[in-house]
Amino acid sequence: MPGSRQARLTALKGQVAALEAGTRTPTSVLPFGDPRVDDCLPGGGLPLGRWHELASAGMEIETGAVAAGFAAMLARSMAGQGAVIWVMRRDDLYAPGLAGLGLSASRLIQVKTPDEVQTLMALEDALGSAGVAAVIGEVEDVDLTAGRRLQLACERHGATGLVIRRRPWGGTGRKPDTGSAAATRWRVSAAPSDPVGEPGLGPPRWRAALERSRGGRPGEWIFEGRQEADHDAHPLRVVSGLADHGLDAANDLPVRRRA
Amino acid sequence: MTRILSVWFPDWPITAWTRRTTCLSGDGHDPLALPPPRGEGGSANRRRNETGGASGDRGSTSNASLHPAPLREPVPPHEGKGGRRPLALLTTEAGVRRLYAVDAAARAVGLFAGQKATDAAALVPELRAEEADPPADVQALEAVSDWCVRYSPAVAVDGVDGLFLDITGVSHLWGGEAAMADDLLARLATNGIPARAAVADTAGAAWALARFGGEGRVIADPGGQAPRLAPLPITALRLDEVSAAQLPRLGLTRIERLLGLPRAQLTRRFGPMVLRRLDQALGRAEEALTFRRPPTPWFDRLTFAEPISVLDDLVRAAGDITERLCRRLQVEGRGARRFELTFHRLDGKAFPTQAGLSLAGRDARVLTRLFAPKLEMIDPGFGIEVVTLSAGGVERLSAAQGSLDSSRAALAEEEVAALVDRLANRLGESAVWRAETFESHVPERAVHPASAVGPARPDGWDPDKPRPIRLFPHPEAIAAVAELPDEPPVAFTWRGRRHRVKRAEGPERIAEEWWRKPIDKVGPAFVRDYYRVEDDTGARFWLFRAGLYGDPETPPRWWLHGVFA
Repeated sequence: MPGSRQARLTALKGQVAALEAGTRTPTSVLPFGDPRVDDCLPGGGLPLGRWHELASAGMEIETGAVAAGFAAMLARSMAGQGAVIWVMRRDDLYAPGLAGLGLSASRLIQVKTPDEVQTLMALEDALGSAGVAAVIGEVEDVDLTAGRRLQLACERHGATGLVIRRRPWGGTGRKPDTGSAAATRWRVSAAPSDPVGEPGLGPPRWRAALERSRGGRPGEWIFEGRQEADHDAHPLRVVSGLADHGLDAANDLPVRRRA
Repeated sequence: MTRILSVWFPDWPITAWTRRTTCLSGDGHDPLALPPPRGEGGSANRRRNETGGASGDRGSTSNASLHPAPLREPVPPHEGKGGRRPLALLTTEAGVRRLYAVDAAARAVGLFAGQKATDAAALVPELRAEEADPPADVQALEAVSDWCVRYSPAVAVDGVDGLFLDITGVSHLWGGEAAMADDLLARLATNGIPARAAVADTAGAAWALARFGGEGRVIADPGGQAPRLAPLPITALRLDEVSAAQLPRLGLTRIERLLGLPRAQLTRRFGPMVLRRLDQALGRAEEALTFRRPPTPWFDRLTFAEPISVLDDLVRAAGDITERLCRRLQVEGRGARRFELTFHRLDGKAFPTQAGLSLAGRDARVLTRLFAPKLEMIDPGFGIEVVTLSAGGVERLSAAQGSLDSSRAALAEEEVAALVDRLANRLGESAVWRAETFESHVPERAVHPASAVGPARPDGWDPDKPRPIRLFPHPEAIAAVAELPDEPPVAFTWRGRRHRVKRAEGPERIAEEWWRKPIDKVGPAFVRDYYRVEDDTGARFWLFRAGLYGDPETPPRWWLHGVFA
């Protein structure tokens, strides 16, 4: 009965796919509105109801300012759906600066935690609460177990997590990145602004490399922050695509396997 | 109808002294032991919590109790002889040693409080004299009053040797007023605290009956205290010394004599106090008692026939009692913001735990979850016999919101409030906040923490003045090179790394708020000129220069105050 065998195989494959997807609800995405980015992301945009990792390099690992700005821009477009919660160990986050990026302080609940464990606990609790749209956390490291727990919490009510890898002042670095349960991993750094002829500084720019994306492929771009007045557009505008890097990495086998 | 239970401890200084010195030496001599009077362990704990929590009206007592006396003080050597030597406590009054209190044996041989110590020693050579410690007596009394919370949430300390309990509506939990008073006296007696108790409609009447109504307990029926008060001496009216001395001289020795006299003349002769006390005793005038915690009708208790000590049982007990109180709140259409769950241990120590809600609520499940992590901290000792729960900040709450008539937004709001409560309970009240604009142009002061739930004020910061995303609590000194006095630097070194400035904006001049500072803390040296600079990698910083070029007294210095995204 080759026909029925084929049917059973299909059914089994369907079951396996369902198992692999776990309890995950079909996720919605937040498109960047630019095919150069959206094509690299599964589903054509930043997956919502998942958590994403933002890393940085150099002094930024300690200040975490550039990554925080990038996270604030991403969270800005989610703030309409519910509360935004920022969990951190150092409360040097400055609300007027966030307001300048368009993330209003009236939508933002800040939580200060004494240590790493409490940070992860608060993150998980916040991600699993209804009425929460996005949770931004500043942590040193998320291991596989913690990452999996965060993912399960995200799936409960569809909150999106943005985890900034930030090292405490003067602390020594932890072990290098191992596997992670994050849906995407970004490496964010500052990029020179372009004031187009005017004196002073232009709108903030970020150089963001999508290092890993489940079901997508990596890439690297330079984004510029949009003014808050542009409600409909994504807060981040692609200024330049560093496409060659992205294509190279797309052919990178290990990455594809993980994807 | 109010019902007041007055407890009187005759010779309280003696009792307190005895307990201070002896009762601690025999452990297990009595499983129902009261908290050792000197604020030790549990009672110190409670007092600390209380000042921060519900009542907050008596912060003064907490300091002393933070330094607990050693649990076991050495027993005085002459104690063990068993001989009942007369005991007196001494104090120094205006340079004269006087008896502060005497025990029954000493009173029997003719000693009395206020007597000169030398006279007493001459009369009774075998008198045992010890130092009195009135503050410790007060502390001990407060410890007992804290312990009495198991009977009623409203307990007031009465003078230096008594307590008032407002038992309105709680006596049924004990099977009546008489049973309650008996239980109280029995427990006190097993702990070596002689006491008398009386229940009446007013504090005045209860006070009088406890002290002059005879041994044991006296219960005056509702509205029936007048005939019981009539035969008592007038000192039962809590009069001041002058009146108390003068009235008997005029033949007015008993309260019944006072009742028949014209009120106007009494007032003219003795002042308003006598009549006021009389009215208070008879219930014709109000009297305010200072309860150690605000009385709340939102109170419930669970008693266990077998003491519990396993964590699971504690959690279950917490769930049960919360369920009960919440059901009452539900029936009456109310919710509460603060809950205090107290575990009373067999040895009388109480472990209070608090939980707060940012929106008034009555969801037993949520509350139990808030309490659950705190139960691990409770040391059950030999077991917990009573659990009490009281609710504070009770307010009206609309009926439970069904999923049909409530909007999703309101539901989400509630869920976020519940999350904020969980986080605040675990991390502390001040660890969860929402930033709010504060009218100040000094960057450090422009943000105030506000409540994380409830309606939020819109941002009030000037959008034309860019602010960094990270503001350092203390500006960090940098070495900067500027070409011209009022120009931004061309390069600077921060944390050992050199940054070449590519673009810059500024200055934005921010002066200290001179009205908030002493005069020498304002001036040109404290004016900051802020620049926003970008280095060649694109990193953006907020720098400022304090001080002026050309002024030798205030040389300019450069600081880094924040980092932009």
